Amino acid sequence: MKPRVAVVQFPGVNCEVETLRAVVRAGLEGEIFRWTRPPDELRTFQAYVLPGGFSWQDRVRAGALAAKDPMVRVVAEESTARAKPVLGICNGAQVLVEAGLVPGGGGVQLALARNRMPGRSGYYARWIHVRVEPSPCVFTRALLPGTVLPLPVAHAEGRFTARDRGRLEDLSRAGQVPLRYASSAGSDASGFPENPNGSDADAAAVCDARGLVLAIMAHPERAQDLGQLSRAVPGGWAGRRERAVERGEEGDTSGPGLALFEGLRRHLEET
Amino acid sequence: MKRALAGEDAPRTAQAWVALNAVDPQVASALTVARSALAAGRGLAELRRWRLFELRGPLPDRARLEEMLHRSIRFYNPNKERCIVRGADEPAPLAGAERAVLVVDRGGARRTAAERWWLHETGERIEVREAVVWALRFKPGIDAAAGAAELTILRGMDSGLFCNLQAQDHRQSGADVPLPWIARGRRTGGRRA
Repeated sequence: MKPRVAVVQFPGVNCEVETLRAVVRAGLEGEIFRWTRPPDELRTFQAYVLPGGFSWQDRVRAGALAAKDPMVRVVAEESTARAKPVLGICNGAQVLVEAGLVPGGGGVQLALARNRMPGRSGYYARWIHVRVEPSPCVFTRALLPGTVLPLPVAHAEGRFTARDRGRLEDLSRAGQVPLRYASSAGSDASGFPENPNGSDADAAAVCDARGLVLAIMAHPERAQDLGQLSRAVPGGWAGRRERAVERGEEGDTSGPGLALFEGLRRHLEET
Repeated sequence: MKRALAGEDAPRTAQAWVALNAVDPQVASALTVARSALAAGRGLAELRRWRLFELRGPLPDRARLEEMLHRSIRFYNPNKERCIVRGADEPAPLAGAERAVLVVDRGGARRTAAERWWLHETGERIEVREAVVWALRFKPGIDAAAGAAELTILRGMDSGLFCNLQAQDHRQSGADVPLPWIARGRRTGGRRA
């Protein structure tokens, strides 16, 4: 029997369908769990994905109100007590950070602040590259450190930061930054736009110390097959896409983003 | 007769308090969540929200300032918002029992597009900063300052809402709101990462 994953939808979330599709495509059983259901029903699932969107219309601060939702409390309890994995994508990442589940360890230790971009402000959408770093993260476990993944970002508040400016570097040394913004060749990001929001330590994703709860600003579900890959993306993934297009199989061939969901499946199958 | 804002020769400061004419959905949601999820929120009797602009520099008289703010798209939308200009020695648009909490994005308060617009229109260089003000009124018998602090500083799922200290700063005041109130912090917005 396949592990069951809840795609948790708050009012205003709008990426639940493609996220569910990625969950199923990775070989898991998935279900969209809307805010109208009793939160305790979440306890029957083995893992949780908080998709992107605009929960509560980003009122007060992106993710701030959803972080108080009873569904998040249940997700936190299940993850803490029963080691259930949680993936927060974009707005889902903002919820996890505002709830203090990432990086964990008590209290709210990070923020996903407004993008900091030279000469511009506001919402920013483009394909970027992330590099896999050594980490206990269950979502990147299927990937070798140094692997480069092209993924799309689309957000206005995605800058991982902390009052203590060295906090993200500390987390990185502890293996809690499993993905960092990088060039398409995998070298360190040289500022904007390779780092699309000004995140400290070029952090593209942050996980808790156990590697079970991951907050990522890029959208892996929007890169789950090669047909979704932008023609502007260079490197090895472009070659794979071209070959798949020649065969007419780009929509059926796994894309770079699916690796995170496959990592979740492998973890759930082994636990 | 036009009313001056402050001393004619010195650089001057004015505040523009902007609020929605209709019910503010941010307020409705924040109030609902605060009352249902936060202990201090249960003592809230009323919540209001303002966008606060502070303008510093060689400002014109009040009538001209109000006209400029009304005309620009950089400050507020007069079709759906109202704006109250506050000069020196004038009260903030708050009730006596309200606690005001200022929340500002650290390093991100400057509104350079508004400054450029002002320069283009007047030839004068001014500084424009923006923050959010939450006005909290608590039920009788509740320590309003303590309640406001508890609701302001985000500590976790059970505590705090308005300010994530990891990226924001806050200040609290009674109805006697300082002018200026938004700190002149280091300008970092728009710089290379």
